[in-house]
Amino acid sequence: MPYGVSGLNKEGMENTSRIVDRIIAEKGKEKKALISILQAIQKELNYLPKEALRHVGEHTGITPAEIISVATFYSQFRLRPAGEHMIKICVGTACHVKGSGQVYDAFARKFGLGEGETTDRKGQYTLEKVSCLGCCTLAPVVQIDQVTYGHVTTSQVDEILADFESRAGKKEEKKFRLADGTEIQGEIRIGLGSCCVASGSDEIRKAVETTVNSYGLKVKLKHVGCVGMCHQVPLVEIVPTEGEPTLYSRVKPEDVKDIVGKHFKPPGLFSRLKGKLLDSVEYIQTDAKWEGIERYALDVRDKPVSSFLGNQIPIATEYRGIINPLDIEEYKSRGGFRAIRRALLEMTPTEVVHELKESQIRGRGGAGFPSGIKWELVARHGDLQKYVVCNGDEGDPGAFMDRMLLESYPYRVIEGLIIGAYATGATKGFFYIRAEYPLAVRRIREALATCYRENLLGENILGSGFSFDAEIYEGAGAFVCGEETALLQSLMGNRGYPRIRPPFPAEKGYMGHPTLVNNVETLAQISFILREGAGLFNSIGTIHSKGTKVFALAGKVVRGGLIEVPMGTTIRQVIFEIGGGIANGRTFKAVQIGGPSGGCIPASLADTPIDFESLTEMGAMMGSGGLVVLDDSDCMVDIARFFLSFTQHESCGKCTFCRLGTRRMLDILEKVTQGKARREDLDELEKVALWTKKGSLCGLGKTAPNPVLSTLKYFREEYEAHLEGRCPTGKCTHLIKYQVNEKCIGCTLCAQVCPVNAIPFTPHEKHVIDTGVCIRCDACRPACPENAIDVF
Amino acid sequence: MIKLKIDNKSVEVPEGTSVMEAAKAAGIHIPAMCMDEELDHFTSCMLCLVKDATGRMFPSCSVAASGGMRITTDDEEIREGRRIALELLLSEHVGDCEAPCQLGCPAHMNIPLMNRLIAGGKWEESLRVVKRDIALPAVLGRICPAPCEGACHRKTVDEAVSICLLKRFVGDENDLHPWPVPALNGKRAAIVGAGPAGLAAAYYLRLKGVDAHLFDRAGKPGGQLRTAISHDILPEEVLDKEINTILETGVVFHGGVTVNDTFFDELKNSYDALVLATGNIDDLTKSFQLKGTPKGIEVNRETYETSEKGVFAIGNVIRSSRLAVRSVAQGKEAAFSVIQYLNDETIRGEPRMFNSRFGKLHDLEFAEYLKEANPARRHFPSADFSGFTPGEAIEEARRCMHCDCRAAGNCKLRIYSDNCQADQKRFQTTPRRAITKQIQTSGVVYEKEKCIKCGICVRLTKKYREKFGLTFIGRGFDVIIGIPFDESLDAALVQTAQMVARHCPTGALEIREMN
Repeated sequence: MPYGVSGLNKEGMENTSRIVDRIIAEKGKEKKALISILQAIQKELNYLPKEALRHVGEHTGITPAEIISVATFYSQFRLRPAGEHMIKICVGTACHVKGSGQVYDAFARKFGLGEGETTDRKGQYTLEKVSCLGCCTLAPVVQIDQVTYGHVTTSQVDEILADFESRAGKKEEKKFRLADGTEIQGEIRIGLGSCCVASGSDEIRKAVETTVNSYGLKVKLKHVGCVGMCHQVPLVEIVPTEGEPTLYSRVKPEDVKDIVGKHFKPPGLFSRLKGKLLDSVEYIQTDAKWEGIERYALDVRDKPVSSFLGNQIPIATEYRGIINPLDIEEYKSRGGFRAIRRALLEMTPTEVVHELKESQIRGRGGAGFPSGIKWELVARHGDLQKYVVCNGDEGDPGAFMDRMLLESYPYRVIEGLIIGAYATGATKGFFYIRAEYPLAVRRIREALATCYRENLLGENILGSGFSFDAEIYEGAGAFVCGEETALLQSLMGNRGYPRIRPPFPAEKGYMGHPTLVNNVETLAQISFILREGAGLFNSIGTIHSKGTKVFALAGKVVRGGLIEVPMGTTIRQVIFEIGGGIANGRTFKAVQIGGPSGGCIPASLADTPIDFESLTEMGAMMGSGGLVVLDDSDCMVDIARFFLSFTQHESCGKCTFCRLGTRRMLDILEKVTQGKARREDLDELEKVALWTKKGSLCGLGKTAPNPVLSTLKYFREEYEAHLEGRCPTGKCTHLIKYQVNEKCIGCTLCAQVCPVNAIPFTPHEKHVIDTGVCIRCDACRPACPENAIDVF
Repeated sequence: MIKLKIDNKSVEVPEGTSVMEAAKAAGIHIPAMCMDEELDHFTSCMLCLVKDATGRMFPSCSVAASGGMRITTDDEEIREGRRIALELLLSEHVGDCEAPCQLGCPAHMNIPLMNRLIAGGKWEESLRVVKRDIALPAVLGRICPAPCEGACHRKTVDEAVSICLLKRFVGDENDLHPWPVPALNGKRAAIVGAGPAGLAAAYYLRLKGVDAHLFDRAGKPGGQLRTAISHDILPEEVLDKEINTILETGVVFHGGVTVNDTFFDELKNSYDALVLATGNIDDLTKSFQLKGTPKGIEVNRETYETSEKGVFAIGNVIRSSRLAVRSVAQGKEAAFSVIQYLNDETIRGEPRMFNSRFGKLHDLEFAEYLKEANPARRHFPSADFSGFTPGEAIEEARRCMHCDCRAAGNCKLRIYSDNCQADQKRFQTTPRRAITKQIQTSGVVYEKEKCIKCGICVRLTKKYREKFGLTFIGRGFDVIIGIPFDESLDAALVQTAQMVARHCPTGALEIREMN
């Protein structure tokens, strides 16, 4: 495997050395700085040139072996130059079930990429598959640099690129000037969660700012975090001083003027005229080529929405949609940091641990280990140097609640971490956050700075005598680093290789010292427990699973988004009462819970309460909390194959069963989806799955077979159909054919969208698909206005 | 100290001892490949899975023993797990344990070793290697159709190594049996029929201390070798000379003796074991009341036991064949069975180890394989029926590409795969990787497609502070052990080359033999 392409001239090399020297001076020469050094080099040089890596080896205490092993382990790092723009195609679960694979292929075709190639010939674009962009409700999603396109279809590639290129070079509009505060007419709230931002809320924000400026309105403009209505984004909520608030969903920038104008009267004629003038000018400038999502306004009190919000208990997501993520005063006014005061000023560390144990909270990261016991283990340890780590390396391709919590409630998570540090006696903490979450990193960074200013971090916090420092550590792209021992390795600048436990991190963690590793969601629930008391928390939920759980609800459900429900809520309640049932009139088939570690629970078991034990019993797992709803058009073999291709790609490769077991399972599943498998292959698949579960070193490998085992258990007949060369849902491209039926009116739309000219251009005649040429990209079927294309 | 039970044996070990070490203290061996006495545990190969009283499985190398543990190290479930782990490793292990020529040779002769010894001018040693499996090399070197050359990897590159003529060269170069024969051990065996099968059986039995007596209808030993082959191809003096080397080991020849039913019974009574190698039989009435098939006397294909205890049958008497090498091979194999029978052991025949195989060479791999071979074309002797001169033999032998694995004798992957009867093909669901060979100027050879990613070499080069050393590159299924910054193997292993080769559990890193 060649790596580290060189090709720099002398000048380039001198320049590289200077840059690398500066980065080393900034990040340090110790191994724990390695990942951030590499990140910084890549940021400046676009990739990791061999010369730069050698330079690191020669000017730090880090060996060439360590540098290369780390640079080739994390998927963030590139050893070859990338194109000018990165096209990230989300291949997360929700995007997958909505056809992201075909979208990727369409882009690859557009750039004429061969096997293994990712950059177009001009070096303009590099295609990259990413496991989740965290806006599942817009699936399938494509992100080009900072611009996100949602609901992408295979035939939109040209439009998207044209739109992207037309934006390039456009000047940023003037920044919003704050209203003076007198005569406030009301408040305009704009969602700035990931889904909102991805769906264009930043555009909306600018449009609102422009409108407010040009109208000269006296309104308060407020940025709020995720309200969980991700299926309706971007959201704009108008809260007039008098009268009912109104929530507008799926807002487009051009709607903003209408919306704002409807609720607020501009103060003077001149401003109004100015507004009109600007309006016409802008209208001409607007490039309306890109047809995004449809828009409509709806009232927050409409029945489906209130049920969407109503059946839930927000603890981790307390005050969602109300508080500005970074406004510390607002957080305080809503009870924020009251828990810290109580813990640090009124309780001993032992009492805090006791309170946590009382609450019976279990780790939200997946396995459900009782958090109180974990805290106690660290607290009891005699070592004077202890650490706490917030595990924000969420990697499930269908879940994004950690990201949302970090982005929307940074203070709540920080508060949890500080309390954890106090209770366990740790003096130093880390936020380990996925590199793919730049907004979360930014928010936490700003929130940490504010906390330092407010003496919530640093020396002698709030006069309690307790001192604690916290910093951010950006991950570099490795799902396995969600496993705590691998995460700690990564934190120390190594490959994310997990190791056997015991010893647990609570005894021997970061740099060999006792370390408390808690998931983001767990930490986000700590302040509630300390503020409201363990009793209130443990009154929620089931006997063994207390409190609430945040889920990312996505897939074929009417209303997707983030939800927080009490443990013990049934799958049916979540899908039908909260999610509004199955979209497009299809039938509920199964729900995939827990992502790559979880499993598929069939519709017949929809009354299963969601808690740690019942899910495990069903062959699924709480896992990350991804909840992807599948309908009768989803192929279960394809779903299993999808997850295995993910875990196979993410296996660290340390132990035999995971490194090879996941690969061999994937191979067999591919054989099945291609109709080439025999009955014995299913037995072998099951054998490898069972042994990968039993024999793997860490949680990744031990749970990776779950998607296979659960689908084999509940949907074996679908596997068997594939053995006979049939894919009952028409998903597996090797087993299906496209054909034009009698409804065809000869409109040529299908012929126009076909990327491989498999449909001759024959106006007013019934079209014919050449199945030998057809690549089953599914571009023609949605393009047909008459439903004249059958798949079978 | 803590007390625990392993396979129902009580053992007491100091605190902190791993379950694997505790088992060792109890005299129980747990298979492992990624463990190295110089290094801390790494938990990669997962062969050392054991189970506790609750049935939970864990790798014994990296779990500390605790008081009261009740460990099982071997049962059906554990064996299945180990076998699957090995089969998964084998599914991506690209390499031949034994060379294809050796596997193609009915006598299973170690051809590559013979070639290397010839290339090094070591005639006597090469004869020893040949004679380990082939009793009549000079003879077979003239008449064998050489199935080995059909299997030779060099054949895919240009032309097969001239193995048969090299073997003839080895046979011709030596006058006598050049090494001592063991003293008689008191056991006696009668071999009926002094054709290639009988001669071979007698020879190998004698070499194992058995008093071997050959009986033949003809006055001179040789059977069909003497009657069915033209003297141009096989001159009588060559045959006589080679048969002589066998007789000189102490094999007793009784010529002009017809063995009928009566005499057969007499032989059974006066000898401890009896080997029938009488050649083709046209009707089964001549089969001495032994069970037969339409093709000949019925035998166990592995051990050559007939329906009667202590009587073995080999050669054309069990199935007609024109392949003398097959008869010679059976003579050798039957000798193993006879010895096992005489020693009251389970009769298994000649032991055969597990063999990893990858099939044909790909075009891409030619250059890799030629790195260790003479690139010249095959040499053909100038005249009909003539052999190689010593110089020609050396040049030709150097064409051999060393397809056999240097670790074939001590590879843990092979040994455990053999123990567990692993099936290499079971999980071979993707096309194999192409083989590469990185060769140090003097020192070691690295064939990364044989690597099992145990990381022992990575950890050793780190421990001994190599400047570059070896490192993990990539992730998951694609992870390889490589050298940072594409440095050479010379630069990677300055002080540790020999060490990492010795510690490598498979044949990925091996010491290069120097001629």
